[in-house]
Amino acid sequence: MIEFYHVYKQYVKEQYALYDISLTIKKGEFVFLTGASGAGKTTLLKLIFKEELPNKGQILVDSKNITLIPAGELYRLRREIGIVFQDFKLLVNRTVYENIAIPLVVRGEKKSFIDKMVSKALHEVGLTHRKNYIPTHISGGEQQRVAIARAIVCNPKIIIADEPTGNLDTELSIEIFKIFEKININGITTIIATHDDHLMNMFPKRTLKLEKGILTSSGEKEVSF
Amino acid sequence: MNLLKSTLNNAVKNILRNKLINFLSLGIIAFTLLIFGIFNYLTYSLETFTDNFSKNIEAIFYFNDDVDQYEIDLLLEKLRSSLLVEDVVFNSKNQAEIIFSRQFPELKYILSEFKESPFPSSIEVKFKQEFNMGTQVISFIEDIEKLSIIESKQVNLDWAKKILAIKKFISLVGIFLSLILIFVSSFIIFNVIKINIFYRKEEINIFRLVGATDRYIKFPFIIEGALLGFFGSLMAGGLLFITLKSFPAYATFMYSIFKDLINFKSIPITIFSRLVLLGTGIGLLSSTISVRQFLKN
Repeated sequence: MIEFYHVYKQYVKEQYALYDISLTIKKGEFVFLTGASGAGKTTLLKLIFKEELPNKGQILVDSKNITLIPAGELYRLRREIGIVFQDFKLLVNRTVYENIAIPLVVRGEKKSFIDKMVSKALHEVGLTHRKNYIPTHISGGEQQRVAIARAIVCNPKIIIADEPTGNLDTELSIEIFKIFEKININGITTIIATHDDHLMNMFPKRTLKLEKGILTSSGEKEVSF
Repeated sequence: MNLLKSTLNNAVKNILRNKLINFLSLGIIAFTLLIFGIFNYLTYSLETFTDNFSKNIEAIFYFNDDVDQYEIDLLLEKLRSSLLVEDVVFNSKNQAEIIFSRQFPELKYILSEFKESPFPSSIEVKFKQEFNMGTQVISFIEDIEKLSIIESKQVNLDWAKKILAIKKFISLVGIFLSLILIFVSSFIIFNVIKINIFYRKEEINIFRLVGATDRYIKFPFIIEGALLGFFGSLMAGGLLFITLKSFPAYATFMYSIFKDLINFKSIPITIFSRLVLLGTGIGLLSSTISVRQFLKN
């Protein structure tokens, strides 16, 4: 469960990136986070995995106040969260397999276990045949699926995706959203930041709406027309 | 053990990933340490040479004609009880005459002109090797020379002082040059690690986001610096060996001057291990500073 209590975030004085945000996302829930560019979507997501710190307020992940986690212990929180970015953030000098294996390698897992988990993740995103390719030799949609596989390879409790289909065409975007839906069925809390109304209509879920840093809607399964 | 293995593995992989900059810096580090090695070896050779040269130092003190046996015995006792002295031999006036006759038989007739031996009585003092021409020996000799029963001495103190001054100068220049070269090597490794950190910024960011510990991220960079220093110093050692070996071929004239002063056949293990230890230490220290400065939590 993710809880925000009166969270404020400011990058510059007298201008709030997020203003008095209070919300709750239940365990296993699928949530869209929407709003125009600069509304504060990315900032809100970054606060969940403590890439940014709030100026005020409290953020709880699984009932733990993450603002109190010391820098040296942050890795424990990050290991519970899988993150997917719009620009994929793949390492171009490593193969698809190696990219997906990174979270397991940094945990010091054994090779046999890594093999098993990477194969499973590759199968889930339908990229088994691309495992030895380097990211620049596969399509944008496939690159995003590699990023998703990397996010799910350690069976995280939460998946956070920041505009995961921002660089993809509609057909590929639908494909990616279907993968997220499949992941969510396994009980993983899924939060996707997007401003694609068409996709949100196709996959009706609870939608949190941000406008200039203020949460204007937090209704469940809200669908815009 | 696993962490050490994976850290070492990552460090080597990182060096190979950024080949150009790492190999270039390895060359510069090797060259800098080679200069340090050459100077260190020269200092070592000169010190060995001066040490050998000033070993077994002896001084001869000649007594006044009116000295009595009691005063001589007192001085002999004082010399024999000194920690600096290895051996003392007393030569009376008559013994000196016998020695002269033995060494120069053709001049023996001159002595017949004298009623008694014209040579002064003397004592030969041999100093212990561990004190070879140290300041202690020099001041000891000067103290004895000041005694009223001593007329003169036979030992080239100026020469000994000069050797001491040269040794001091070599050591000082060595320390000064070493400090500069250590700073240069540290600066290079510090900046290489800084460049590598910036080069791999995205990779580091991804590692952090997927839950890598600080240790996992930082250690390879620190080890990378140590490896650069280690391999740089190994290369410097190799180059030093080649330089020394090929010196007689490309500098025949210089070789004829320095062949007695410097051993061109092999590098003593102390010089080599000093070089490797220093290189690795510099690498470890500068990469740690670089990581602390540019890889904050």
